[in-house]
Amino acid sequence: MSQTDLRDERTLRLGFMPLIDCAPLIAVVRLGLDRKYGLRLQLLRQASWAAIRDKLIAGELDAVHALAGLVHGVETGIGGPRAELAVLMTLNQNGQGISLSTSLADGLAQGTPLRELLANRPHPPVFAQTFPTGTHAMWLNHWLASQGVDPLASIRSVTLPPPLMPEALARGELDGYCAGEPWASAVDVAGGGRRVVRSGEIWPGHPEKVLACRREFATLQPDIAVALTAAVLEACRWMDAPGHRQQVVEWLADRDVIGLPAERIAHCLLPDDTQAPATALRFHGDGLVNVPWLSDGVWFLQQFRRWKLLPAQSSESDEAIVARIHRIETYRQAAEWVGVAVPSVATRPQPQAADDADGAMHKFGASLH
Amino acid sequence: MLHGNMEPTPPLTLPAMLRVLLVNDTEKPIGELRQALLAIGYRVLDDVAAAGALLKAVETQQPDVVIIDVDSPSRDTLEQLAVIHRQAPRPVVMFSADGDNQLIRSVVGAGVTAYVVDGLSSARLAPIIEVALARFEQQTQLRRKLDDVQQQLVDRKLIDRAKGMLMDKRGMSEAEAYAALRQQAMKQGVKLVDVARQIIPIADLLG
Repeated sequence: MSQTDLRDERTLRLGFMPLIDCAPLIAVVRLGLDRKYGLRLQLLRQASWAAIRDKLIAGELDAVHALAGLVHGVETGIGGPRAELAVLMTLNQNGQGISLSTSLADGLAQGTPLRELLANRPHPPVFAQTFPTGTHAMWLNHWLASQGVDPLASIRSVTLPPPLMPEALARGELDGYCAGEPWASAVDVAGGGRRVVRSGEIWPGHPEKVLACRREFATLQPDIAVALTAAVLEACRWMDAPGHRQQVVEWLADRDVIGLPAERIAHCLLPDDTQAPATALRFHGDGLVNVPWLSDGVWFLQQFRRWKLLPAQSSESDEAIVARIHRIETYRQAAEWVGVAVPSVATRPQPQAADDADGAMHKFGASLH
Repeated sequence: MLHGNMEPTPPLTLPAMLRVLLVNDTEKPIGELRQALLAIGYRVLDDVAAAGALLKAVETQQPDVVIIDVDSPSRDTLEQLAVIHRQAPRPVVMFSADGDNQLIRSVVGAGVTAYVVDGLSSARLAPIIEVALARFEQQTQLRRKLDDVQQQLVDRKLIDRAKGMLMDKRGMSEAEAYAALRQQAMKQGVKLVDVARQIIPIADLLG
């Protein structure tokens, strides 16, 4: 039920959060790609993922920069409202990080297991993430488990706005956090901690942000949904072409976007030779990034069950739930329009949990077997 | 000469000592609600202006209601509380200048209750907060009821199992087995299901 208003149906309001990986949405407007596909996109910065979700559901926004996983949390009604949203495409892979206090980071660097470093404390260690059903919470849990630390029993997990995380770490209020850039590496600047692992090193090629909309919009206005997807897809392709990211740095540094100094933005956005492409932030990967992979959606639902955000089983399969959410057909049409290859099946291998390297049950979290 | 009944209307009955936390971290004048809430008779805790302080305040002061701007950067922190809300339930009242009912309907979900406050008059506020709390209380009661029913089902299964074992090993009829369990429960001053829990694991030892 969208708001009744006087605007042209081809004018769409796009919500985004001030993070490095909002770049494709900034680019689609700056490059005039929206006009190319017969749309007019208005960018509206938001202050929280909850606001992005609620405004999308209510019709104040038409499409949003969203954490992969947020949409699946809304579908299954975890914590907040239950609603029918859709994933049109993936916006980026990788580009996030986990940062720890200096003492923990030093201990790890010396080869002491994290489990030992966190043991025997008067209070449970505190780790922050950006949203309970979001990507950062899942990377954090997955990584802690791989280090032998049970994220449900051995630590306290809190949600904080990422700009507050570096100071909180420096003040000793946090022992670590997982967030997107520029906040994961901001602690390297602020002091008191450092980034110890990039998200692309935990699951190379993990989905990060997606372009989401209301399901009703995707089904009742398919040509506009295809046009929107095509425009953003072309922007993603443009982002990864050599030499383009330098220009984007200035756009993101703008006060109305992220508003941080260009050098900080450049540090997180520009490609760096020390990273393998599979682990580095990327927006296109010749189309492999942008597919709304069904297997990615299933992975999030399984993690929600693993961490007891959902019961061990629902009345229907995870595959059935995800099939409703991920608009494969819309993506195919958009990709054809833009001239991007699509795979024949929309599934790809999922990462194995590092705490069950031999494929046995997860050591931590609810059994999935 | 005065006619008619000129008695004043009795005051609204309001929950006593309702504890309200204001999250005042945007430009919307949430802080101004303080006077209005105090005038109604609510207990208004110290404002918080950041996510960390919000978390701490919810834990240590346990407000009954949290009032927060729709565009507050601290909302995601409250989301976490909604997810673990069985332990720390908190209704959430949204403050939105636009009065968009769609937005409100969309955030009404398990453990999160939202209402628009498009003016700051205390007369509007009181029933809004009451309804938010009533709604939340209803959801909490439903959840508790569901938990009770589930527990009863589990207990029933255990009792049936223990009965079956007595019938099997002691050759009792069902009525006799049930009477034996009940007698044991009365003797020990415990519930039937507790006796069942004693019997089941050791039944094999008894032949």
